[in-house]
Amino acid sequence: MAATRATRIAALTAGLSLLVGVSACATDSGGTTDDPIVIGASLPLTGEFSQGGLDTQQGYEVWVEMTNETGGILGRDVEIVIRDDATNQNTVVTNYNNLISVDDVDLLLGSQSSLLNIPASSVAERNEMVFVCPSCGSPDMFNRGFEFIFFSQQAVATDQARVFAEWIAALPEDQRPKTAAYPSLDDPFAGPVVDGAEAILSAAGIETVYKDIYPATTKNFDSIVAAIAASGAEMVVQGAQFEDGVNFVRSMNRAGYEPDILYQSSSPTYGQQYFDGVGEDNTQGVFFSSSYNSVASTPGNAEFVAKYEEMFGGIPPEDAADGFAAGEVLKAAAEAVGGIDDQRALADWIRANEVQTILGTLSWNENGSPKGDFLVGQWQDGSAQIVLPAEAATSETIFRWRGAAFE
Amino acid sequence: MIALTQTLILGVLAGAVYALMASGLTLIFGVMRVINIAHGAFAVLAAFLTYSLWSAFGLDPLLAIPFIMVVMFGIGWVVYQGAVRHSRGSHVSMTVLVTFGIALVLEGVMGIIWGNRSASIRTDYTDASVEVGPFFFPQVQLLAAAIAVVVLIALYFLLNKTWLGRAIRAASVNESGALLVGVSVAAVAALTFAIGIATLGAGGAMLGAIQPIVPGTHYQWIARLLAIIVLGGLGSLPGAVIGAMIIGVTEMLATTYVGSAWPVAVPFLIIFIVLIVRPQGIMGARLREDLVS
Amino acid sequence: MSDAAAKSVQDERRSRLIRNGVLAVLALIVVLFPLIGDASMENTMILALIFAIGASGLNIITGYTGYLSLSQGAFLGIGAYVAAILGRSMPDISPFVWMPVAGLTAALLAMLLGLVTYRSRGASFVIITIAFLFLVQFVATQWVPVTNGTAGITFPLPTWSNAVWGNWPFHLVLVGLLALSILVSWWVRRTKFGTGLIAIREDEGKAGSVGINAPIYKLLAFGLSALFVGMAGTVYGYYLSFVDPIGMFSILNSVVIVLAIILGGRGTLLGPVLGAFILVPVDAFANNYLGGGNIRLLVFGGLLVLLVVLLPKGIIPTVQLLLEKRRTKGTVGLTGSITALADRPLPPPREKLAPVGDTMLLQVTGLEKSFGALKAVDGCTFGVPEGSITALIGPNGSGKTTVFNLISGLMTPDAGEIVLDGERIEGLAPWGRAHRGIGRTFQMTRLFREMTVLENVVAPLRDFQFRQLGLGAVSGSEAEKAEEFLEFVGMQAYRDARAGSLSYGQQKLVELAQILVLDPKLIMLDEPAGGINPTLIERMGGLIRELNDQGKTFLLVEHNMPFVLGLCNPVRVLARGQVIAEGSPAEIQKDPLVLDAYLGDDYMLENRSGDGAAAKGEGR
Repeated sequence: MAATRATRIAALTAGLSLLVGVSACATDSGGTTDDPIVIGASLPLTGEFSQGGLDTQQGYEVWVEMTNETGGILGRDVEIVIRDDATNQNTVVTNYNNLISVDDVDLLLGSQSSLLNIPASSVAERNEMVFVCPSCGSPDMFNRGFEFIFFSQQAVATDQARVFAEWIAALPEDQRPKTAAYPSLDDPFAGPVVDGAEAILSAAGIETVYKDIYPATTKNFDSIVAAIAASGAEMVVQGAQFEDGVNFVRSMNRAGYEPDILYQSSSPTYGQQYFDGVGEDNTQGVFFSSSYNSVASTPGNAEFVAKYEEMFGGIPPEDAADGFAAGEVLKAAAEAVGGIDDQRALADWIRANEVQTILGTLSWNENGSPKGDFLVGQWQDGSAQIVLPAEAATSETIFRWRGAAFE
Repeated sequence: MIALTQTLILGVLAGAVYALMASGLTLIFGVMRVINIAHGAFAVLAAFLTYSLWSAFGLDPLLAIPFIMVVMFGIGWVVYQGAVRHSRGSHVSMTVLVTFGIALVLEGVMGIIWGNRSASIRTDYTDASVEVGPFFFPQVQLLAAAIAVVVLIALYFLLNKTWLGRAIRAASVNESGALLVGVSVAAVAALTFAIGIATLGAGGAMLGAIQPIVPGTHYQWIARLLAIIVLGGLGSLPGAVIGAMIIGVTEMLATTYVGSAWPVAVPFLIIFIVLIVRPQGIMGARLREDLVS
Repeated sequence: MSDAAAKSVQDERRSRLIRNGVLAVLALIVVLFPLIGDASMENTMILALIFAIGASGLNIITGYTGYLSLSQGAFLGIGAYVAAILGRSMPDISPFVWMPVAGLTAALLAMLLGLVTYRSRGASFVIITIAFLFLVQFVATQWVPVTNGTAGITFPLPTWSNAVWGNWPFHLVLVGLLALSILVSWWVRRTKFGTGLIAIREDEGKAGSVGINAPIYKLLAFGLSALFVGMAGTVYGYYLSFVDPIGMFSILNSVVIVLAIILGGRGTLLGPVLGAFILVPVDAFANNYLGGGNIRLLVFGGLLVLLVVLLPKGIIPTVQLLLEKRRTKGTVGLTGSITALADRPLPPPREKLAPVGDTMLLQVTGLEKSFGALKAVDGCTFGVPEGSITALIGPNGSGKTTVFNLISGLMTPDAGEIVLDGERIEGLAPWGRAHRGIGRTFQMTRLFREMTVLENVVAPLRDFQFRQLGLGAVSGSEAEKAEEFLEFVGMQAYRDARAGSLSYGQQKLVELAQILVLDPKLIMLDEPAGGINPTLIERMGGLIRELNDQGKTFLLVEHNMPFVLGLCNPVRVLARGQVIAEGSPAEIQKDPLVLDAYLGDDYMLENRSGDGAAAKGEGR
């Protein structure tokens, strides 16, 4: 095929645009250097994943604000166009197509959740645009041979609870729980976390007395909790998104069931909302894995927290920080490469380098998946602390759920 | 045995609230042959109203019930007059579409007003339990079940002992006959719809106290409520109560003994099986369209 | 031909030309769209094509057959999943290859749904289709080894170069599928199969009584309605590059498809396609410029309510109606009359009623049927002698119409035997009985109101064969025969009139012609003389007598005693669901039991409720 698509379009649109009055020249705005860099993203601002989507949006906005205050990218201001995909795959594909062809954006940022990012990343890959994604935990994303997709957190879901599980496995015999229950949300983000933890814990001799996957629609956990209580598990490792984690804790209260150790994968990272949902007393000693902590001493974090407080109030939730970090990755690549037109150069740079973010230092495998480890956090006296690994810890003591500290 | 009994307790407590919520649905169907697909959305709406009263004024969700019922009565009346009324007389599947449309509109409105995040009400009794021997009875569910029983009895009294109730029942049995004896069927239909939404309002208020609420969850509720009234027999109030108990207990049993993924499928399986095997349900009479052939 | 008529033919030819021209231009624009639109418009076009294929398919079951289904989105998802699952084990083969498999799988599952729901109607049916959608979603979530659960399955990226070919392959495949889908829909509408589906939509009970095997028709309609959307599902999944239970089985997909049908016009060929091409861009617009998700819900929800309330027929039928009104303004409406009937000589009234033979064509023994506490038929036993005109009379509420319904198969007896020409038939479906030689009319006529008179008369089927489904609806010898029968009853002048526009008496005559097409051995008439004028009553009597002379056996329910006594022998008297007297008209008139039954005051009280409710089949 000698003629390229562009020339065929040029030839034929000339005739057809007369006929139907539609002109569709995809003008390539090379742009002067004064023009702002336009970044496009679609997020689930409504629908099922709107919780995380709205948080990520805040993160993106804080990043844009702070980037512009410090001179933009390559001296140009940054603008972000965010579209709502309503947690709908049709729409996320439509949105990224629109962002690329109608809004003619220069750079892309990802959507929220693997469910939406898998189809979205295909659009980016087909158009050969770098896709830095704040929330692509599903390992499936990275075995498709894509070259432009990067996950800007520390690890995919399967490794999320590894640090926590290894710490439990290494506890002295008398402090280590003997039995564990593994309830999990049926979600590509939650299930693998629990599977990963169980593999380590059962290898260490902790007996699995309950394991089940509940669907996203479960609201009443009374019977699940009753079954776990009946199994007598001393430790509960829950793969929880948000709401289910809150409901689970409330059901444990109603059932009067109190395991020594409670781990929930994501719920406790929702900050104030989690705190309000389960009540202060119940947050005490809850473990979680986190890509981020607001008190971490990572570069730029203090400024981020301050700016977030100024713009939206309160402590930034994890998804906002993840969104911010995705922006940081994009910025680092653009400035290192020295331009934004060669997307392949941007991708190659990200693949080969480390980036300092508010989440810590990020680096990537060949397939775009990250190489790091999550932090282990714990709610202590009404605030979320990092307890593991020791070098990143913001608190020395580690507690049992609503109970005494480990020695 | 203890686990089984505990599961049954939880099932029956959940069933009581389900029964209250389903009573309006079955009542509306019984009188006007309208399957109100928006019923789940109305329930979530009532829960959000309760949430707003609680978060703005600190009003206890259970004390808010009378107020919520009045408000929901008004909303039901307006929605009936504005939309549902116009679909009466057209094919039954058209009424399903209209109420489905109402459900979508309500979901959108709730999203705009309260956002698409989950909201939860916490009071001192929401996380407490009454313990009896080895069993626990969650306090909020006990209270909710008690209120459900009270409201259901009141509804039963209204339907069986008052003139309005007789008019409603007359209209549901024989529309032209009701007209003949001076019952304005149009007014009765509007009242019934509003009453159905008001009783649902009580259920929705308790729903808000029991679990977090999100606008998008109304599909789940309408599935459960439909399963209840299909099982109990479309249009039958006692049937709805029995159906609610069965669904409540089955969901809990399925969670405990089959797998926690299964309660989701329970309503749909029940709808499927009942409508295929015994379309009239437990207590219902056969509908005309089921009868022919 | 008059000038006016010639002009109207010319007008019609011209407007058809214009219409075809416009359609051709639109089709060309759709086919070549990727040349015109940018990537975002192309994307909207691809989604519009997918939903148009879904709507065009759903139109067969919802538009033609009258069954509103909210499970169409499930078949889209099933098609996508089939390709994803097969593609996972054979990653080197293009997903397009799996389209036929996906289409057939969707069609088979749709037929399975049709099979298990064959008794459900109206609201129950809608609810079941919703339940089906969610159950399919549940299976996709739980059957992890095959579907990979909630994590979903990814497709490979297209192998063609995006820079050169863009979305052309997706686009062209979908255009082809849509064209096929429209073609099939057009073909179905023209065949016996299509007429049968519309008969089912208009009146399923009646369709059965004129020999239409509704379950098979519905089953095939279900299969056809899902075939192309299943194939489109493959393209959909490949285009999105990912399938998962939440996205693929979202109920909003089904809602958009149903909305498209209603917006464009149910039962029209192109209405559903038009609907989809309006809705998908509206959706994109609402999402991009009006603020996204919640607004979309408002738009779709509001549209649903408004459409059903304000435009229940949809765009195309409404426009057609307006055009029709403009065209026929000032011209005379229906012409023709039943004068032809009066001109035709009829056999003279008989001096003596034919003697009763010994062979019973129909024998009913111990028939029973209850509605709740009401025992409508209670051990009813009687025979209809071959070649006779037998009357079944009785006071209101005595169960006559219920007996008719039991014999013709509209209701199933609780107990008892029905033997037609030596064969037990009480277990057969209505169409089975029609095929064996029972033809019946209804007390309140039940013609297919939206069909023309001629279509009504060719609709009945004397047997069931698969190959007959594909025959043209109105053609050949059948049409000739139908016209003969119309002429016989004196209604040929009305052959192209809409059945619903006829007077009650005219409808009775057409209904008689309709069942004659079945060539029945036994003709059952429910109050043939009820509610029509005296001249017509006389004519009706004449027709019955003439047919009887040709060898047809009749069973009549009738209240008009002079009519019965002058026409029928023997007479059976029904009271309280039992035959209390039998014999010649003269014998019956003298029977004290009969007088008692008619005059007994207990029946007066039941006049209002009993028979009426039973006749309509209302059990509550």
